[in-house]
Amino acid sequence: MSHTITVEQLSKTYQVPEREGGFGAAVRSFFKRKYKDVKAVQQVDFKIEQGEIVGFLGPNGAGKTTTLKMLSGLLHPTGGKAEVLGFTPWELKPEYLRAMTLVMGQRNRLSWDIPAADSFLLNQAIYRIPDDEYKQTYKELDELLELDPLMKKPVRNLSLGERMKCEIAAGLLHRPKVLFLDEPTIGLDITGQVRIREFLREYNKRTGATILLTSHYMADVTALCERIIIIHHGQLKYDGGITDLSHKIAPFKLIGIMLTDADSHDLSKYGTPVQNEEDADKKYIQVKAEDVTRITSKLLAELPVHDITITDPPIEDVIEQAFNQ
Amino acid sequence: MHTLKLLSSFFKVNVQMSLAYRTDTVVNILLNLMWLGWELLSLNIIFSNTTTLGGWGFGELIALLGVFRLVNTMMMALIWPNTEKFNQSIRDGSMDYTILQPVNSMFLVTFSRITVWRIWDLILAIVLIVVGINITGDATTTLNILTFMLLATTGTIVIYSLWIVLIALTFWFTKFDNNVTILHALLDSGRYPATVYPVWLRLIVTFIVPIAVATTIPLQALRGDLSPSQVVIFFFVGVFSFIIATRVWKAGLKQYSGASS
Repeated sequence: MSHTITVEQLSKTYQVPEREGGFGAAVRSFFKRKYKDVKAVQQVDFKIEQGEIVGFLGPNGAGKTTTLKMLSGLLHPTGGKAEVLGFTPWELKPEYLRAMTLVMGQRNRLSWDIPAADSFLLNQAIYRIPDDEYKQTYKELDELLELDPLMKKPVRNLSLGERMKCEIAAGLLHRPKVLFLDEPTIGLDITGQVRIREFLREYNKRTGATILLTSHYMADVTALCERIIIIHHGQLKYDGGITDLSHKIAPFKLIGIMLTDADSHDLSKYGTPVQNEEDADKKYIQVKAEDVTRITSKLLAELPVHDITITDPPIEDVIEQAFNQ
Repeated sequence: MHTLKLLSSFFKVNVQMSLAYRTDTVVNILLNLMWLGWELLSLNIIFSNTTTLGGWGFGELIALLGVFRLVNTMMMALIWPNTEKFNQSIRDGSMDYTILQPVNSMFLVTFSRITVWRIWDLILAIVLIVVGINITGDATTTLNILTFMLLATTGTIVIYSLWIVLIALTFWFTKFDNNVTILHALLDSGRYPATVYPVWLRLIVTFIVPIAVATTIPLQALRGDLSPSQVVIFFFVGVFSFIIATRVWKAGLKQYSGASS
C-alpha cells in the first residue's frame, strides 16, 4: 500500500550571510559578503499512513518548520525526495494545493479589516468550492469550533484564541486530506489549547485526514499523537510510538512508595531519588527498567511499605533527554 | 469564467475593506471627486487654448491624455496598493499563503488589492479617449481605431510586465521598496508624445524603457502613422515582455522558496 506522505533522504541547506559585529564589519560585509552553509535538514526519512496524527518535535532551530515547508511545497529541498498524496509538493500543482493545507500559528491569512466570513467567501472562490459543499463544511466546522458568533466581527477585534479558530477553519474550508500544522496553539491559554486539540482529534476521526503537527506544548502532542518524530540539528532522532519512546530513549521506571514511617529510611541505595511535585505523599526513585521487579520485591521485603506504584517517567522528561543525547 | 468569478470576489472584498473605516471612506470619496474636478478644470483650460504639440492635433492630444490616464489609473488602482501589500507580505511571511493557493500567484499578486474609488478615473480615461477619437473625426478609419485598441492593450501589458519584473526582483533582494518608485519615474516620461523628445532620448524611451509603447505608439496607430510591420513588431514586443515577465516571476518564486526560512 502506498503511503500518504513519503520522505526519503530529504535535505535542505541554507546559505546564510555571516559577519562579525561592529561598524567596520558591516561596511566590509556590504562589499564582500561571506556566506555560511547551514544544514537545516539532513537526510531525513519517514513515511506516514492515511489518517495518522503525527507529532513532529524538536527544539527551536531543529528543522521542523523547514521540513513542513518542504512538504507543503514552499521550499525546494537541496537533496532527497518527498511525495505527498502522490504529488511532489514543490511542483505546486493546483490539484495538490487543493488537497492539503498549511496552518502556521504565527502567520495570518485572514484580512484584518473585514469579518472572517468575507475572507471565507473569498477562499471559497479561490478553492472553487461549490455552494452546497461550502455550506456543509462550514456547518461542520461551526459545530466543532463554534464559529458563528465570531463571523460578524472584523478579524482585528477578535481575541487571539478566537482568531486562531477562524484561521484554522479558513485553512480547512476546502476539506484538505493532509494538514500541516506549525504551532497551531502558540500563544493560546490552556482552555484555548484544549479546544483546538479536541477539535483536531474530532476532525481527524470524522474525516480521516492525515495530520502532521509541530508544537512547543508537549501536552498537544501527548494528547493527540500516538506517533512522534523527533529531529534535532536537522537529523532524525526518533520515529515511533509515543509510549515506546521511554523504552528506547530512557529505559527507566519510576517507583513511588509510601512508607508508614517516611523519614527514617534511606532510599538512595535502591535507586536514584527524584522529585515529584504532583504527589508529595510518596517518595520516588528512578531505576533501570530491567531492575524493576528485583528492586520492587527488595523494597517490599525490607521496608514498611504502605503503598507502591510503578510508572513510566513523564514524557516531557524523556523527550528532553532525547534532545540532549 | 472562473477568472472572472475570482476577480469579482476580489473586487467585493476590496469594497468591503474600503467600507470598514467610515471616515477614511468618506475622505477618500471626497478626495477623488476633488481630483476629478481638478482634472476636468485643467482639461477645460486645454480645450480653450487649442494648440498643437510636436505636430500632433488637438483630438490626438486628448486621446493621448486619455491613454496616459488609463495607464495612470492602473498604477493607482492596482500597482501601488498591490506593491505595498507584496513588499509587506515578503517581510512578514504571508507570501507563503499566497504561493500555496491553487491560483496563479502572479494573478493573486496583481489583483488582491484594488483601490475601488479609482473607478472614476477609469471612466474619465475612457471618455477622454472616445472624445479624442471623435475630434479627430474623418482623419481616422475603423482599422486605425482597432489597431489603436490593440496596441493600447499591448502597451498596458508592457508596463504590467515591467512591474512584475521589478517586484519579482524583491525575491532576490528581500528588501527592494523602491521597486514602484522606479516604475513611476519611468512612466512619467510617457506623459508627452515621444516625438517631443530628442531622437536619442526617444530611442531610450521607446526601446530601453518601453513606456512609450503604452502611450505614444497606440496614438500613432490612431493617426495611421504606423506601417503594418511596425504594428506587428510592437504587438510582439508586448507578447515577449509578458513571456519574459512570467519567466522572471517563476524564477523569483523559485528563489524565494530556496531562500526563505
